[in-house]
Amino acid sequence: MSRSASLISRGHRPTHRTLDTPAYNTVPARRTLAPQHNMVEHTQAAPKPAKKVNWSPEVREYVQRSFAPEAAIPGIERTEMETKLKQIITQAAECGTLESIDWTKLPLPQYYIQQELGTQQPGGPLEASDMSPNWANGSLKRKMDVDVAEPADETSPPWKKLNGRSKDFGDRISYASKSQESKIDKRARKRQEELKAGNESKYNADLEKRKKRFDIGKPGNESPRPWQNLHHSYRDDDNVGGSRGPVIGTCQTIEKRYLRLTAAPKPEIVRPLSVLEKTLEHLKKKWRQENDYTYICDQFKSLRQDLTVQHIKNEFTVNVYEIHARIALEKGDLGEFNQCQTQLRALYKESLGGHPPEFVAYRILYFIYTCNRVDMNDVLTHLTITDKQQPAVRHALQVRNALALGNYHKFFRLYLDTPNMGAYLMDMFVGRERLAALANICKAYKPDVNLRFLTEELGFESDEDCVQFLIDANAQHLISEKDGVLKILTAKAGSLFELAKATAFRKVDIKGQI
Amino acid sequence: MDAHLSQIREALRSQDGYALAAALTPAAPANDPTRLHTLYRDDITLNAVQAEIRHAVTYHDGVKLSKAERTAWTEVFGNHWKAIVEIVNAEQGRERDSSWTKAFEAWKEVLNALIRGYQTSVFEAWSIPCLYVGGNYLRKFAIKADKQAEIQQGSVTFNAGFQDDIVGALDQHETLEEAGRQINRIYTLCITDRAPLEESRKWGVYYVTNLLFKTYFMLNRISLCKNVMRSLQTTEPDLPPLDAFPKSQQVTFKYYAGVIYFLEEDYAKAEQYLTSAYELCHKDAQRNRELILTYLVPCHLVTTHTLPTPALLAPYPRLQALFTPLSRAIKRGDLGAFDAALTAGEEEFIKRRIYLTLERGRDIALRNLFRKVFIVGGFEPLKEGQTEEQRIRRTRIPIEEFAAAVRLASRVPGGEVNGGGFGAEEIEQDEVECLLANMIYKNLMKGYISREHGKVVLSKGGTAFPGTGV
Repeated sequence: MSRSASLISRGHRPTHRTLDTPAYNTVPARRTLAPQHNMVEHTQAAPKPAKKVNWSPEVREYVQRSFAPEAAIPGIERTEMETKLKQIITQAAECGTLESIDWTKLPLPQYYIQQELGTQQPGGPLEASDMSPNWANGSLKRKMDVDVAEPADETSPPWKKLNGRSKDFGDRISYASKSQESKIDKRARKRQEELKAGNESKYNADLEKRKKRFDIGKPGNESPRPWQNLHHSYRDDDNVGGSRGPVIGTCQTIEKRYLRLTAAPKPEIVRPLSVLEKTLEHLKKKWRQENDYTYICDQFKSLRQDLTVQHIKNEFTVNVYEIHARIALEKGDLGEFNQCQTQLRALYKESLGGHPPEFVAYRILYFIYTCNRVDMNDVLTHLTITDKQQPAVRHALQVRNALALGNYHKFFRLYLDTPNMGAYLMDMFVGRERLAALANICKAYKPDVNLRFLTEELGFESDEDCVQFLIDANAQHLISEKDGVLKILTAKAGSLFELAKATAFRKVDIKGQI
Repeated sequence: MDAHLSQIREALRSQDGYALAAALTPAAPANDPTRLHTLYRDDITLNAVQAEIRHAVTYHDGVKLSKAERTAWTEVFGNHWKAIVEIVNAEQGRERDSSWTKAFEAWKEVLNALIRGYQTSVFEAWSIPCLYVGGNYLRKFAIKADKQAEIQQGSVTFNAGFQDDIVGALDQHETLEEAGRQINRIYTLCITDRAPLEESRKWGVYYVTNLLFKTYFMLNRISLCKNVMRSLQTTEPDLPPLDAFPKSQQVTFKYYAGVIYFLEEDYAKAEQYLTSAYELCHKDAQRNRELILTYLVPCHLVTTHTLPTPALLAPYPRLQALFTPLSRAIKRGDLGAFDAALTAGEEEFIKRRIYLTLERGRDIALRNLFRKVFIVGGFEPLKEGQTEEQRIRRTRIPIEEFAAAVRLASRVPGGEVNGGGFGAEEIEQDEVECLLANMIYKNLMKGYISREHGKVVLSKGGTAFPGTGV
């Protein structure tokens, strides 16, 4: 098709465009064909003779995928699927959305059928199978691995078809009103979420393959989803448009900017678990490569948001919060770090995996930093004997004990040997503890001590660092040389460090910032 | 019912706040154990009850109430009757959907009607005991409701809104939190009353403060207590003096205030309040005295470095178990035993929030140990012309001697080194120096460390260990 033709087509498109997707012009709907540039977009968008259908390659491929044996879902007859497929395509043709739908991303017909089945047969065998204990802990993790690793080979158990989306929705409304929910219900739902994630990751794996084949570039700004209208109509048919309860995302973009929600989000802008898993990997890589905190923090916030609105609460959730917490810690973003910590604390209570000891240790170190005795006592209350034996927790407790008793010697030994990322937290209070130790040393030692002694006792990396610290504390006049050895005239320090220490501890009043 | 109504009528006539509060109390008094049940009748409608109440507060000689007052009290006691029904149901679990949450909600309506009465200046200050009953039972029902809810559902709730994060509320005290907010309303109602002191609701302040403290402590929201303390401090000049309140309220207030200061590490103030509470406390109120001592003993250890005498703890086996092993270890300067005792009692100490304070007792144990080293070190050789009395103790003590003592005292019976972080063999000389420096810094020892000579030089003339006679 020629350029002029495409221009014409654009000329009369807006009439119905404006009705459904006004943002058409900015829609990079044809990302998958990106190498052919925007001209392709127009080409594709040009109206083909409406009746004598000349199916686009996308539609054809969609049909092919629908019939592919690996896409079959046990319990759904091929004929059923065909009917649905026909219905989807016909409807798209009638609505004139054939071109605007991104067929590469539209769920397969059997998927929709599954959903509908889900609404018709709630409960039943599902609940029964969920009565088995230990489900939440052990098999959950394994299941996820399997799903991600070899999605195609996994055959669905017969009850899987009961786990369609609409069933979830019915359920979830009661879930939103958290209080009446029994443990069993909770498990059932978690399981459903897992299963759904399984389905989608399967469907998604195909997608990824395709994406790679077409070598699509940046996945970043692929914001609008042209097929949303069609998709919506199905949803509405299923009567699942209610605004309460968690959303089931359909968005396939890896990246997403964070926006604070003021109402229930549209499914089209929420990424399902399978996509979020890719997002996390993507973000981890980006963080390693670019180290751009503003960007990463924003992305993680939207990732957390997507998890929340879909009520996804599993090991992956824990993983996301842990990674965000670590990154925030590395960058000294205590606000974000604390938010993650609060969430993690609750998530750990449900034994979803992750690294509780590491983060308990951070909590302890953080409360040392904020001098928060009440909360510290709280942390201690909740520690079990097993917790206390974990190296990270043990270390943090020893740090606390050393400081409580003024044992700076031990404190700085511990500082130099901090597990995980605890050193980032300890860095925040090591300065004031050095001042405290200096106040102590200057009162106790007469007439002087060697500089090297300070360097070692106060955990400095070198004598130079130690001298620099003293200079920064306005204590340069205490440094003197005697027989080629640098000494610190402790007897002459007076109240210098005492005052500096008081100031340093006063500044910690950041509790409200949590 | 009739007895109940005449109780209300009589209380309103004589303007007896306590009697009215007694009528409002949703619990059976000892002399009438079936009181709630007699009020609870299935065969009567709310309208009928309200009519009876209205009748009772209206048509009786001697009861001179304004129309607004009649309406307001009718409302209070109408809600009261509704609440009684829910409470009896919750107690008996009679109805299938009965619960303490419902009882709580119903009682909250009673309290709301009361608060409205005061806010619109319909109720006079003589009736404020009703507010106390209202708040106190709201708290009690909230605790029951939370307990019931905890049994019925899991521990972590889900974030139901559109927030960014996955978990909503962490705590299982939703109802009690709500009770706290309501009681805080009563507090505001009392403390902001500008009427002349004789007829002011300010006479309710310490009652309500104590309710708030109890609630916040249970919620572990100490920071909220501090807010209350601050607000009390600013209004104190306008308040009736604390000692004009009943002793029970004084003791309760002083106890909580003392503990709040204790948690803030303001041990001087804590000691003052706790001591005062202890002295005022009724001698037979064993439980209360025990509670006060739980904080006063650690407080004393920090402020005056003294340990409780066995006689003081004798009446309280629990406190004996809590403090005796530690005290003994401190006295003997036995670091290993101290660490062991602290670990053994850790759970209990933490639960009572005294762990972080008791931990500091190790300094005293250490001081006692070093003092022993000093004493065992003996005296300087007599100089010419010196008598036995005049001879002075050896005040230049090699650091090694202290180090040896620390290693010896850190051993735990059983051989294994305690987890307090001070392994007997691994204690380096530098660490011992650090401990010595601490002693000097904290004025537990007087003198200085000379690194050059590897010695501690203690002050002469019986002041090396201040307050211990040497």
